[in-house]
Amino acid sequence: MKNLAVSFITLLTLVAISADAAGLKARKPANGDKCPVCGMFVAKYPDFAAQVQFRNGTVLHFDGTKDLFKCYQNLPRYSPGRKQGDIVAIFVTGYYSLAPIDAYSAWFVAGSDVFGPMGRELIPFQEEADAREFMKDHKGKSLLRFKDITPAIVKELD
Amino acid sequence: MDFTLSSLLRRKGKNGALLAVYTLIVFLLASVLFFTHALRQEAALVLRDSPEIIVQRTLTGRYAPIPVAYGDRIRGIRGVISVRPRLWGYYYDANFLANYTLVVPGDNPPKQGTIGIGAGISRMREAFEGDTVGFTGFDGKPRSFTIGSILSDESQLVSADLILISEPDYRSLSGIPSGFATDLVLKVKNPKEFTTIAEKITRLLPDTRPIVRNEILRTYDALFNWRAGVIIVIFGVAALAFVIFAWDKATGLSAEERKEIGILKAIGWETSDILLMKFWEGLAISLTAFFVGIALAYGHVFFTSSILFVPVLKGWSTLYPEFRLVPFVDFGHLAAIFFLTVVPYTITTIIPSWRAATIDPDAVMR
Repeated sequence: MKNLAVSFITLLTLVAISADAAGLKARKPANGDKCPVCGMFVAKYPDFAAQVQFRNGTVLHFDGTKDLFKCYQNLPRYSPGRKQGDIVAIFVTGYYSLAPIDAYSAWFVAGSDVFGPMGRELIPFQEEADAREFMKDHKGKSLLRFKDITPAIVKELD
Repeated sequence: MDFTLSSLLRRKGKNGALLAVYTLIVFLLASVLFFTHALRQEAALVLRDSPEIIVQRTLTGRYAPIPVAYGDRIRGIRGVISVRPRLWGYYYDANFLANYTLVVPGDNPPKQGTIGIGAGISRMREAFEGDTVGFTGFDGKPRSFTIGSILSDESQLVSADLILISEPDYRSLSGIPSGFATDLVLKVKNPKEFTTIAEKITRLLPDTRPIVRNEILRTYDALFNWRAGVIIVIFGVAALAFVIFAWDKATGLSAEERKEIGILKAIGWETSDILLMKFWEGLAISLTAFFVGIALAYGHVFFTSSILFVPVLKGWSTLYPEFRLVPFVDFGHLAAIFFLTVVPYTITTIIPSWRAATIDPDAVMR
């Protein structure tokens, strides 16, 4: 029941955010930008980089989709003072294109044999067909959307 | 200092021989380092723009032209950003005994009837912009082209023997029918997908052979390492001879030198003065050898195209038009040579002098 409520709220914020997200562009991580979850330098791993942009213009960079979700699901712990409601855009790096894509509309594959800088990862794709083909090629276990990714799923990847 | 130099000159023969051998060693070592380093740089320049994956067609295990239509099927593989057919090949010039590389450039190719040629061909054939040169086609008929441009020198290894040509001219010269290409080059963004894509291509088109960029890099590296290795072995023997020679000369002071040290002490020189003198002596010899050796090696590699190494290093391109390497010097290498030669030599000369200098002068002179 609680889970349902959480995902319902997430969904609501999603609807509110997606409207805002239009027109925002992903920003390049600077050399000194560190992942707030694991502390690694993000610019070294552009193939997996992810970022969250806030209403006041600040950006959090992550070295992988997994860390992005960890932080997103527990903002008070990893980035005190910020709220999910202040998020205006989330970008992840598409696996085939290596270009930033909108996380809310992306498809994620979990359990594949492709590893990121922090080990097992959620691999993002722009298109569903891309994700399905990737699952076949790289032994992916499940195909997920943004709202499907719960703390339990993220924990399983660790 | 003056005294040091004049004392060096007094034993001209011995020090001269030492200097010559020393210079030779530095020269060889520096030549090898310069040459392999420059080759690597050239290769890096070549590979910087090289495609992620090249697809060739094979027929009974041998290379064959690839149908351009294969490209459409490969484009459907996920992760492949673009596919481009390439047209290129070699042309053997029987009059000048040289091999040229013919390439149809992907963007702004020369106009039909004109070609762009590399600096090496231009030098060799004494052909310049506006001149007309003739080539024999696959059917034995001659064809003539006007030189539209001479290519720049950024990497001589690649561009020296290059001929840029338009597609219709290339097909008429080589006889490759339309609808076929030499190979296909793929653009792939994610390096993690290289092997997956290569596997898919072989499954989709069993008569093709995909070549991944990492493999090309490895081949180049192995080639250069092997060739540098051959030289290093030769050099190793020479270095060993030098070490024995230098050790012998530097550690064992001749009776005459011992006597000299004795006299110097007798007339009031301190042990430290003598050590300083010996230090200057060693430094003068090794520094001279170092600089002369480096300068010679630089000239050897970059101006005479390493004539001494040609048989060993360039076995793969005996038909290649002469090329000059673009000078690249790495100061790390210079420092390495310096610390391998000058520093140990200078130190080995001091120890025996110190031993001689601490003996009672009376005992030495008697």
